Amino acid sequence: MSTHSIRVVINGRAHSASVEGRLTLSDFLRTDAGFTGVHVGCEHGVCGACTVIVDGEAVRACLMLAVQADGCQITTVEGLAAPDGTLHPVQQALRDEHGLQCGFCTPGVVMTLVALTRGPKRPSRDVLLESLSGHLCRCTGYQGIRRAAIKLAAEDA
Amino acid sequence: MKPAPFEYVAPDTIEEACEHLAAAGGGATVLAGGQTLLPLLALRMSQPFVLVDIQRIRDLVGVKPAADGGTRIGPMTRQSAVIDDATIARKLPLVATATRHIGHHPIRNRGTIGGSIALGEPAAELPATALALGAVVELRSTRGTRRVAAEELYWGPYSTAIESDELMTAIDFPDWPADSIALFRELAPRPGDFALVGLTGAVSVREGRIARAGLAWFGMGPTPIRARQAEAALLGQTLDKLEVGEVAELAVRETAPFDDHHASAEYRRTVGRRLFARTLNEAVSVRRSA
Amino acid sequence: MTVAAHSGESRYIGKRLPRSEDGRLLTGRGTYVDDIDLPGMLHVAFVRSPIARGEIRSIDLSAALDLPGVHAIYTAKELAQLKVDMLSFFLGAPAIAIAPLAAERVAYVGDPFAMVVAQDRYVAEDAAGLVLVDYAEEEPVITLSDAKSSSTIVHGGTDSNVAVGMGEEDNEELEELLAHAPHVITNTITHQRIAQAPIETRGVVVAPQGSDELTIYISCQSPQMAARYIATAFGLPQTGIRVIAKDVGGSFGLKVQPWREEMAVIAAGRLCGRPLKWIEDRLENLTASNHAREQEITVRTAFDENGLLLASHCDYSINNGAYPQGADCNIAVAIFMWAAYKLPSFGFQARGFYTNTPGLGAYRGPWAMETLVRETSLDIAARKLGIDPIEIRRRNIVHRADQPRTTPFGIVLEDITPAECLEALLEKLDVAAFREEQAAARKQGRYLGLGIAAYIEPTAGSSGIAVLASDVAQLRIEPTGKVTAVLSTHSQGHGTQTTMAQVIADKLGVAFEDVSVYEDDSSRGGFGAGASGSRQAVAGGGASIKAAELLADKLKRIAAHLLNAEPTSVHIADGMVHIAGAPEKTKSLREIAEIAYGDPERLPAGMEAGLEAQYRYRPPPITLTSAAHACIVEVDTDTGFLKIMRWISSEDCGVMINPAVVEGQIAGGLAQAIGTVLLEAQPIDARGNPTAATFKDYMLPTIFDVPDFEFVHANTPSQAEGGFRGVGEGGCIVGPPTLVNAIADALAPFGQLTLDLPLTPTKLLEVIEGRSLAPQAHVAAPSSMPAPLAAAAVVTPEPVRAAAPSSIDGMWKLVLATPLGPQTFTGRFATQGDVIIGTLYSGDLDPASFEGKMLGNHCQWDLKVTKPISITLKYNVWFEGEKLHGKVKMGIFGNAKLIGERMHE
Repeated sequence: MSTHSIRVVINGRAHSASVEGRLTLSDFLRTDAGFTGVHVGCEHGVCGACTVIVDGEAVRACLMLAVQADGCQITTVEGLAAPDGTLHPVQQALRDEHGLQCGFCTPGVVMTLVALTRGPKRPSRDVLLESLSGHLCRCTGYQGIRRAAIKLAAEDA
Repeated sequence: MKPAPFEYVAPDTIEEACEHLAAAGGGATVLAGGQTLLPLLALRMSQPFVLVDIQRIRDLVGVKPAADGGTRIGPMTRQSAVIDDATIARKLPLVATATRHIGHHPIRNRGTIGGSIALGEPAAELPATALALGAVVELRSTRGTRRVAAEELYWGPYSTAIESDELMTAIDFPDWPADSIALFRELAPRPGDFALVGLTGAVSVREGRIARAGLAWFGMGPTPIRARQAEAALLGQTLDKLEVGEVAELAVRETAPFDDHHASAEYRRTVGRRLFARTLNEAVSVRRSA
Repeated sequence: MTVAAHSGESRYIGKRLPRSEDGRLLTGRGTYVDDIDLPGMLHVAFVRSPIARGEIRSIDLSAALDLPGVHAIYTAKELAQLKVDMLSFFLGAPAIAIAPLAAERVAYVGDPFAMVVAQDRYVAEDAAGLVLVDYAEEEPVITLSDAKSSSTIVHGGTDSNVAVGMGEEDNEELEELLAHAPHVITNTITHQRIAQAPIETRGVVVAPQGSDELTIYISCQSPQMAARYIATAFGLPQTGIRVIAKDVGGSFGLKVQPWREEMAVIAAGRLCGRPLKWIEDRLENLTASNHAREQEITVRTAFDENGLLLASHCDYSINNGAYPQGADCNIAVAIFMWAAYKLPSFGFQARGFYTNTPGLGAYRGPWAMETLVRETSLDIAARKLGIDPIEIRRRNIVHRADQPRTTPFGIVLEDITPAECLEALLEKLDVAAFREEQAAARKQGRYLGLGIAAYIEPTAGSSGIAVLASDVAQLRIEPTGKVTAVLSTHSQGHGTQTTMAQVIADKLGVAFEDVSVYEDDSSRGGFGAGASGSRQAVAGGGASIKAAELLADKLKRIAAHLLNAEPTSVHIADGMVHIAGAPEKTKSLREIAEIAYGDPERLPAGMEAGLEAQYRYRPPPITLTSAAHACIVEVDTDTGFLKIMRWISSEDCGVMINPAVVEGQIAGGLAQAIGTVLLEAQPIDARGNPTAATFKDYMLPTIFDVPDFEFVHANTPSQAEGGFRGVGEGGCIVGPPTLVNAIADALAPFGQLTLDLPLTPTKLLEVIEGRSLAPQAHVAAPSSMPAPLAAAAVVTPEPVRAAAPSSIDGMWKLVLATPLGPQTFTGRFATQGDVIIGTLYSGDLDPASFEGKMLGNHCQWDLKVTKPISITLKYNVWFEGEKLHGKVKMGIFGNAKLIGERMHE
């Protein structure tokens, strides 16, 4: 059993820790770094609730080891809203469209949409909806989630 | 569902990685993208002594011309990079198409082409595509280097010719003519699920006749299955007089599908035949109208 | 009917207000049970039975206890120091003995019999894998058919596997009617086992404080209910128990009461005095928690020549598993089956059966089978009799004009509107145009289908069940003028923090933003069942209205007194108190509140100080909701896959508080209906193993499986306070037959659909092809998570016998190079002449013993394993001094290399 020193930047703040090789990134973010907004729904990479952004890309935190994230920049759902509480456009779109009920799958949905809408060009509706096919929601029937994604997509796509 | 304890190492070079694999005496597993391995570790279905993470080895990433023609893809090339790569788009569009069907967007950001090809999941897109296109993989260990053709690589579900001390270091795809017709179809219960029936391949035409065909099934047996009889039947045929139904029948005859609670073997054969015919017809008519 | 006159107009009720809870949930600042971290907290992992039935002969905890980081391991023996009654949701004693942990006998695969307490979950799972158990395995009872026919009795002390039976076995009069009817439809449905699968699994944190005080964080459907359950089960005063649940990630019935693992953790917490946390992982959740819906039903229904109902008989069975949360034969199925239709004669038999499988729990609309079997029967009858399916419903359904009317089971129908919902739906759906489109499509080889279903649903039932009798709202206008409401409602996504605030704000005349709703802490407020039985709008809304009226009334009297006016001239709006005709007398609520609390001398003589009111509201005995749904599908006849083209919901849920919340509840239920009909299943194999172990096998609908739903709101106010009706479970009840009927309609040209859920592409293709596509006697495929095929058990180094180097005898460390990576395990070998005897120990599985042949330094043996699939491993091994090597043939999975190293003490 090995332990490793890692240094990550989470939501703009540096964080150093000594972690076991087998510690998952999701457990590290939640327990060691205190970002309980990262939700664990299955631990086998299917439900998408644990999705975070690592070095600019949406990634399932349960399918990475903390030690693999050494040197990476990570954004979790806690890092999105402005300090004055203004919601990120993705968060606002989901709120406006009633895209959540229990909120457990929500951080993952938010992070995938944020990762894809970060760039200069808005992605097409198809790209956004395809990305959401990897998120399981048991509450909403996806109605508001779909409307929010369409709102966030490029208009002519 | 937490992994059992293991020693984690992240070598910087291929040589170091091979040394770790050799030293572990069979007790090591390679960590590539981790999208399949981490769930197995979490379920404790895999309990290696040592996890050798190859994500730091830069020599394993990238797409370049192969020494003897064709295209060499580094196994640690992420699936998202495979989809976006200009060389692959130009020379191996089928590989990009197949990769686009893997899992979901975040899975493809971490998953690698080598991880998928080395795992040998019978319902996966890339092993079958490697088989169809005639890829050859390079395997290295402290004992030396060897090359294994895709058709020798897959022994059974998740069972390959790769020894426990070997690392896949390259996947070499031969050249196919630029105007080859790509065929790809996957039938899965939901997007990203394991295919119930899958077909991947390419057909090239010279002087109006089919000159080369490489077709493989996935989800239709314990390994990806090359549809050799169907390929042979296609050779020499012209596109406008293609006996699609007969070829489809031959293609299905070579499969050995399972029964599971997603679909029965008979379902797979029945639908496989139709999907083969439909896919071939569509690909051909697109070409003919072009 | 009492929509009482009140001071506010409906500024908020009926509006699609954005939800108050979204602010924290969207920013990752919800508080779910796994977010709770307490000083000194330890973590629990359960050790569970790998066999469905048998005896635990011995448990060896020594290796597990020796693992650094392990604090304690509890078994039934230690927990028996405390009294724990595993009550039902209704706080009734179970019919059979149920304990949190299994003692000498295990009754299902996954039955927990030990719990490891360790510094973290990783170490706890390591230790759980080191627990060595000797089982005596027995032949289990798995299916309903087994339970009926087997001579094996699941629970000692009972004389049959019938958990509960109701109805009558022989009804001669009914049989006569059925025998002589012009048309009899027989409809048999086999319904698969469903896992509720909320995205947040179960979990609990217990923090013992002193000898009898407990603070408990638990993922539940009501902190009040949980506190009462826990207190009653342990025989502790409820005053010492505080249950907190701020945010819960869905439940759908799974978490309606604490169950064995949660109670085991709480008991262990009391014994060890440290905070303990257990979070169920997804594997446990899918395979070892309480499941639902495994049923078989045959309903025979008689019609006359005009398609009018004459008689019906129902024979119903439901799998209760080994430990149901309340033994149940689901009598509600019989009660509601024909409640909304005019059926002269009905008889039934309903039985719940015990089996050696995970126990029965609640799932959204537990009685949903009644609507599934009835609405599919009506369509089958319509096809057989050549009557339009809408017409056959019109002829038989209870219209408004037919009410009031009392059903044979004593349900009073006064304001149900399924017929009217159907008519409202038909205004949005041009059926004639669809039928033309359908006919034209068939000519092109495309197969469209239309499915319709209508139903009524009992919501907010309150009579006869003590825990459902009432809900309470405590309202406080603070000295600041803001409103604090503490309710016995609870949201696991229901949005009650928002909807109740809408009601309170309307009734009090304050701004919505000024009302804060709390429902998360049993030490505040009073008892209520929280989310269950689609009750919260009715019960919580009613309590909120009545409490708000009390408070508004007091406010008006105080204002009238202070401002020298008539109480009838006082009007409260937007947090301001107005006197009609005297605008100069306007005061803010805050000013009045400051006086009520801080200067009560100024209040009317004898009036209680402050501005606080509580009302415990008793909803009507039952409030019925009605709806009709329609959907259109297209079936791909090459593959059996289908696409849902359109889905319309036309519902009457009474006055809607927040239409977005209503639609969200319906949509969520409909998604679950789609999952039930097409995708979800938890099959239990012959050895009792639940085979869908991950979300790859237990398939939930994704965004692409669910269409955009269209909603028609055909609302009529109910008799309850506010005119509300419940709506939470409806989509899950009326959804399945709507979809099944559409599929049956699409495939009608090919033949009759066998109702064996889920309707997979294979099953639909069978109808299309007119032949069976069923598995032949094949070897089954690897599961989607193929398992290593080494033998199983615990890695426990046993004392190594001194062995001559020229013999294989002794203990070996072994590594098998399986397709999924190396499997490490150990083995103990002993030779007797040319026979080798051995036992292999590995991981979480049982020790596996074998006998084989030995010749010189070469030996061979076979090992039969049953997990994850049944296969014989053929070992072929050579040893040399301290090393051994060989090959293991793993059936269809090919060969794997084996290497080994002798172990020394």
